Amino acid sequence: MADETPLLDELEKGPWPSYVKEIKRAAKKNKASKDLLGIQELSYKDRITHWKHGGIVGVTGYGSGVIGRYCDSPEKFPDAAAFHTFRVNHPAGWFYSTKALRKICDIWEKYGSGMTNFHGSTGDIILLGAPTENLQPCFDTLTENGFDLGGSGSALRTISGCVGKARCEWANIDTLDIVRDFTSEFQDEIHRPRWPYKFKIKASGCPNDCVAAIARADFTIIGTWKDTLRIDQAAVKNYAENGFDVKGLVVDKCPTDALEWDEKTKTLTLRAEDCVRCMHCINKMTKAIRPGVDTGATILIGSKAPIIKGAYLSWVLIPFIKIEPPYNEIKELLRKIWDWWDENGRTRERLAELIERKGFKTFLREMGIPPVPQMIYKPRANPYVFF
Amino acid sequence: MGRTDIGPPDYREMLPDVIKKNYGKWKYHETPRPGVLRHVSETGDEIYTVRVGSPRLVSIDFVRDLCDIADKYCDGHLRFTSRFNVEFITDSKAKADGVIAEVNKLGLPVGGTGNSISNIVHTQGWIHCHSAATDASGLVKSVMDELYDYFTNMKLPAYVRIAVACCINMCGAIHCSDLAIVGVHRRPPKVDNEKIIAQCEIPTTIQSCPTGAIRRHPDPNVKSVIVREDLCMYCANCFTVCPAMPLADPVGDGVAIYVGGKVSNARKPPMFSRMVVPFLPNNPPRWPEVVDVIKKIVEVYADNARKYERMGEWIERIGWEKFFKLTEIPFTEQHIDDFTHAIETYRTTTQFKW
Amino acid sequence: MADEVTGELKQKIIDYLKTVSKAKNKEVARDIGADKHVVDKAIAELSKEGVIEYVYLGASFIKLKGGE
Repeated sequence: MADETPLLDELEKGPWPSYVKEIKRAAKKNKASKDLLGIQELSYKDRITHWKHGGIVGVTGYGSGVIGRYCDSPEKFPDAAAFHTFRVNHPAGWFYSTKALRKICDIWEKYGSGMTNFHGSTGDIILLGAPTENLQPCFDTLTENGFDLGGSGSALRTISGCVGKARCEWANIDTLDIVRDFTSEFQDEIHRPRWPYKFKIKASGCPNDCVAAIARADFTIIGTWKDTLRIDQAAVKNYAENGFDVKGLVVDKCPTDALEWDEKTKTLTLRAEDCVRCMHCINKMTKAIRPGVDTGATILIGSKAPIIKGAYLSWVLIPFIKIEPPYNEIKELLRKIWDWWDENGRTRERLAELIERKGFKTFLREMGIPPVPQMIYKPRANPYVFF
Repeated sequence: MGRTDIGPPDYREMLPDVIKKNYGKWKYHETPRPGVLRHVSETGDEIYTVRVGSPRLVSIDFVRDLCDIADKYCDGHLRFTSRFNVEFITDSKAKADGVIAEVNKLGLPVGGTGNSISNIVHTQGWIHCHSAATDASGLVKSVMDELYDYFTNMKLPAYVRIAVACCINMCGAIHCSDLAIVGVHRRPPKVDNEKIIAQCEIPTTIQSCPTGAIRRHPDPNVKSVIVREDLCMYCANCFTVCPAMPLADPVGDGVAIYVGGKVSNARKPPMFSRMVVPFLPNNPPRWPEVVDVIKKIVEVYADNARKYERMGEWIERIGWEKFFKLTEIPFTEQHIDDFTHAIETYRTTTQFKW
Repeated sequence: MADEVTGELKQKIIDYLKTVSKAKNKEVARDIGADKHVVDKAIAELSKEGVIEYVYLGASFIKLKGGE
């Protein structure tokens, strides 16, 4: 029980919306949230976490979707002694009807603490804090109402993608449909962890990469195009006449010097063969420049956070591929990758770490993908070649 | 037993009609004011999106408040962004203004578009995590209170993405952010010889250490391990596989600050963030030392970078030696990499600035 | 058919899990000498039947429900 929280009270001040106010709001109705407030205050006083390892909790049939959590001071905080969390898989693009959202709120009011994250960093709706005995009934009620759990542990994690064609003119691929289709295809891989470690898939509609697919996914799908930018010269002229510095802010900042500007005629021309589709000119002249029409995706692999061999960015595996339902080619590639990784990977070894250990050459051979220069920045400088 | 493996609801059931009608038909967008986007479709339809900051850790009543606004102005629909912002999508400017008035009444900021500082991607911290070396929500609140005007305005050279991770597992995968705050330990694990027998497998625990610092206990009668402290880099991988090896320590734990990462491919390819402050103490509730450094870096960047230059692009252009000088952050031996591939970061040229 | 889950296979998996504290699917497949994809399917069924459960210690493993 925490009736006084002088340290946390400080975080009710200031202009940014306060999560402490939110916990207090939930605490008025719910004892577990009241204890959560007390645990947080104690951590602020002690400068240390008061949560313990999870152990075994879950719902029947799943090895994923529930994160077990116990407080290390159950005698002080009996109502949050067991404070487990659900990862609820979000609808692609994080779009909701208020009807669906209210349903989740009602379910969580009944079974849990009333505290949530919209959303966790992998994309799930996070329902924070339920006692062990409520896990199964809460899960059953969620599925009765059309929701299901996301991934956790050594499984395929909840797949996410950018807003895509729903509200973006730069979506070269249908990210929402990819997320929906793959999530539905790989339910078993999401719910029953069996691999060496986690695996993430993210899809961005263009190289701006609004869901950080290139930094946060073992399998990265980024929309791109094969033909040339579409330039509307009348709109370009309009930008110039309204005082926008086309040369200084767009042409001179093109990373491959692929644009040319004729100040007299106010015409922008592109040397298409030099364009690397970085998005800069499109981003800055949204009304005048658009991606091409021969669209598809670049597939990259391997990105992850530092644990354990260091952080990686994804690198190019397939420079260009058409991405259309039912996406069989991509799904077959994923299954091939998972088989090879599961066969060869050590416990807690991510795909990129395994590729580094075995060699990218070995990986390409196993996948049957021929090497192309688009996969690398530069060839090797050392003479230590295996033939 | 209930149903299993049904997957999430189909997104198509969650879209407002105007989105369904214009799916894949958007032509261009503009940003009429900070926090508002106007998208125009090939069909001639237009929509206004109001982007709203959220603390992310919210009560169900907060979600219900959002639903009330969406019911009134947005055809009963709303969405969230990958950075935890709420987006209300409407078909007219008047309704967008209505949304803005309502969210302001709730004390929520409108912003996060264009060259602003959007919401901070973050992890659970002391709210829910057993391996947290710092809190996340409190750090975010403290930093965003200070940078609030950068959220509601678009006055920076380019957008700045900030992220907080409460340990180096980096659940938020923050290693490519313009500014990253990461919880770090500075003390080796304290082995609990009693618990380790019941809770851990000795070989797995030994194997988990990337530097080989964990060895079997020299006394064969003690079924435990010892840690060679000179080899420990406090990564906590052992604690993840063995709960009897805790590293958390009120004085040892704190945060490090990383700078200059990006994920967008625009202009320069994606970049990793680089460490600029190896350690600052956990000083709740407001982490003043951390807030000061973050604010200083943002201000120096805002004053010095060229238009459209991301943090990392600016630093690459001026050089890290200049960055440390301008920000007055002391350069120490911890800044010099000594992990794998460290030598690639050493300067193999006589070109540098003073 | 080699890719069909049989009662015999499930029993083999249960018997195997009695000999270990926890295991990964691939270890089960290797040690009982069965095809991994079929073992994956069998383990999924055993999980839905509530016979096995998952344990997370840095990575996920399976074990017999209620077993040590």
